[in-house]
Amino acid sequence: MRKGFMMIALLLAIAVAAPVFAQATFTPSQNIEWIVTSSPGGGSDIYTRIITDIMTKANLINGKTILVNNKTDGGGEVGRLTVSRVAAGKQADHTLLTFNSGDLMPMVANTANRIENFTPIALMAVDKQLLYIGEQSKYKTFADVIAAVKAGKNVVIAGSKGDDVATYKMLIKELGFTETQLAFITNNATSDAITSILGGHVDLVMSKPAAADQYVLAGKLTPILALSNVRFTGNLASAPTLSEVGNYKNVEYPVWRGVVGPKAMSQAAAKYWSGVFKAVSDSDAWKTGYIEKYKLQPFYMDYEQAKDYMTAYQADYLKSIGK
Amino acid sequence: MHNFQFLLHGFQVVFTLQNLGATMLGCVLGLIIGAMPGIGSLAGCALLLPLTYKFNPTTAIIMLGGLYYSNMFGGAFSAILLNIPGDTPAIMTALDGYPMATKKKRPGQALLTANFSSFIGGLIGMVILTFTGPALADVGLKFGPVEMTTLLLFAMTSIGWLVGENPTKGLILTLLGMLVASMGMDTLTGSPRYDFGNVYLLGGVPFTPFVIGIVGFSQVILLMEQRNIAPQMVTDKLTLRGSMITKHDAKRLALPAIRGGILGTFIGVLPGAGATAAAIMSYSAQKSFKSEEPLGTGAIEGIAASESANNGAAAGAFAPLLALGIPGSGTGAVLLGGLMLWGLNPGPLLFKNSPDFAWGLIASLFIANILALAVSWGVIPFLIKILSVPTKLLIPAITVVCIVGSYSTSNSMYGVIIMFISGVVGYIMQKFKYSYAPLLLAFVLSPMLESNMRKAFIISRGNLDIFVQKPISLAFVIAIAGIALFPIVRYFLVRAGVMKPKAAKK
Repeated sequence: MRKGFMMIALLLAIAVAAPVFAQATFTPSQNIEWIVTSSPGGGSDIYTRIITDIMTKANLINGKTILVNNKTDGGGEVGRLTVSRVAAGKQADHTLLTFNSGDLMPMVANTANRIENFTPIALMAVDKQLLYIGEQSKYKTFADVIAAVKAGKNVVIAGSKGDDVATYKMLIKELGFTETQLAFITNNATSDAITSILGGHVDLVMSKPAAADQYVLAGKLTPILALSNVRFTGNLASAPTLSEVGNYKNVEYPVWRGVVGPKAMSQAAAKYWSGVFKAVSDSDAWKTGYIEKYKLQPFYMDYEQAKDYMTAYQADYLKSIGK
Repeated sequence: MHNFQFLLHGFQVVFTLQNLGATMLGCVLGLIIGAMPGIGSLAGCALLLPLTYKFNPTTAIIMLGGLYYSNMFGGAFSAILLNIPGDTPAIMTALDGYPMATKKKRPGQALLTANFSSFIGGLIGMVILTFTGPALADVGLKFGPVEMTTLLLFAMTSIGWLVGENPTKGLILTLLGMLVASMGMDTLTGSPRYDFGNVYLLGGVPFTPFVIGIVGFSQVILLMEQRNIAPQMVTDKLTLRGSMITKHDAKRLALPAIRGGILGTFIGVLPGAGATAAAIMSYSAQKSFKSEEPLGTGAIEGIAASESANNGAAAGAFAPLLALGIPGSGTGAVLLGGLMLWGLNPGPLLFKNSPDFAWGLIASLFIANILALAVSWGVIPFLIKILSVPTKLLIPAITVVCIVGSYSTSNSMYGVIIMFISGVVGYIMQKFKYSYAPLLLAFVLSPMLESNMRKAFIISRGNLDIFVQKPISLAFVIAIAGIALFPIVRYFLVRAGVMKPKAAKK
């Protein structure tokens, strides 16, 4: 009798615990589709392929294959919309999307799609920018630039889209200049912006450390302002932050790289993936092959923190563009 | 002569069994990829890039360089034989190549003309690249937004030569091309234009499906009208000897090819321009030179101008890429991404830090040029058999090629839909005798013109003076004024009896 009771109690316990257990132990059971909304060879593509490479080599994903799919239609909006609409089920748990601050900005500015339509999984790294002068630049320090603008000179910064524009707006707001006084030219890529300063067509260029690295080494570009709360290290250490230049607050606009899944992704899967990205973030291959090589800063956040971070970021951005 | 020594050293690098094999493989793949519409060098390099991670970097870039380069050869094949440009730089080749192959029944000669001109154009580009590489890249840098604006305006005036006998039709198409090109996100502010609330249209009208539709699929619809007419070419025996070009042909192609090669190399060096723009500009420039037959009716000069320019540009694009780490085109950007993955740092130090690599690549281009010529020559007799395929079989085959080509640009049906729509538009255009050249020229050049002009105005705070203050742009402004005013001046000179009236054009 007692044995029977024990048996029933045990069975009951298993019955209650089983779903919890099953949920907690999500593992990939089919190939993973990972969508990237930029072309092969671009920054987001390299980021994605390095992660997939580490995941595959370290066997973090139960021996399954990751299929990277570059969906570039509609400036990336089509790929983002597709992922946000994947229906709940096996497919939703096996779909990932590379998602950066530079993806969020045009998405919320131009479409009705919002971060709430995704399941944030992880944040991996942040990037910051600097302002550089070229060999032919008229100004040698950022103080010179401020003085020239105040004297009514026409000073032009070249940079890239999205993040750079947002950083620029933050900068002129802090300096109290208008967009005509200190003008900004949006290029399709940082490399185009660097091309125009090498030819002496603009005064300053805004770039992340990686894209400008070779030009700094060759002496063709010199950093004059760190758009950061602290100075950079290495050959970028000579550039002061804005508070060192004058009576201003520092300007720092974090450019983050992350990963999200469809809204319909199960909690267990989000947790599982978040753990996999943690493992990638802790690996040496990631630290040397990505963070160091492309001069980013590690910035891991798990799925819960990432959700809060991305949501707050979106709210700030929407407010800044008056939406 | 230092550069020559370096080049010889480069050859030494290339002449290992492994690297020669890589060049050969790259060439063959490039020809195939080039001949397939839609899959251009960009997709080809991007697809092959992951395969090369395990190679040593020199071998890898040599293979991709060979692929990129021979791609320009391959693009001409389908342009000439099917009137579908295999990749976008071959659009202008189709204008004369297809009539020469079908109406003039000289398909072999058309292909050979294209190949020889490609060879000449490429050779010119490579020689210029070898001896002036870094200096050439510096000249490219001199072209900022202001200079590019006037250069592009100058190129746009050449639409005047392309519109043909009916200027109204030409103008309508030019404006249509500009309008279609302005769809999608504004390049400077990122705000959507003419997207009609459609998320696909946010990215604009993709170029490749648009071209395949306008030029290629419209051809399929035309073919459907004549599906019951037996093909004309079955009886001719097509041999290598039968497709040799005559001495006279060679004379005709030489000058346009040399001009195209030099112009193409120069355009290739400029930031943001590329092989397609080079081919278009060279072809329109040819309009102002003497051609034995009118362009557009199967003239050797037209094929030569277009093909030599796109190969020259392909070589020229390597100058800023190698000397400064600046990609001149989409494919250049993929190659650049490759360099970084292999652990090389593209940029101003590349020539100094990795000479084996840089010069090996340049030397491999020379080899690729010769190999591509040899391989494509060898396959000509087989290729021209396509022309004797009955129309009813050709129609579904070309349709499939068009669909695959436009699908593969972004791996979605969006491209296919664009292709079908522009195919119908292209068919209507042909029925009403509208030539597609001004449309495509405006489509390619106007986005570049727009973004450069707006950048120039940001620099000058909206002041027009800037265009006459800089020497390079002043020269272009004078040239534009000259071209625009010449007919008026001539009119008065003729009236005053100073000049003889110009004979009416054919």
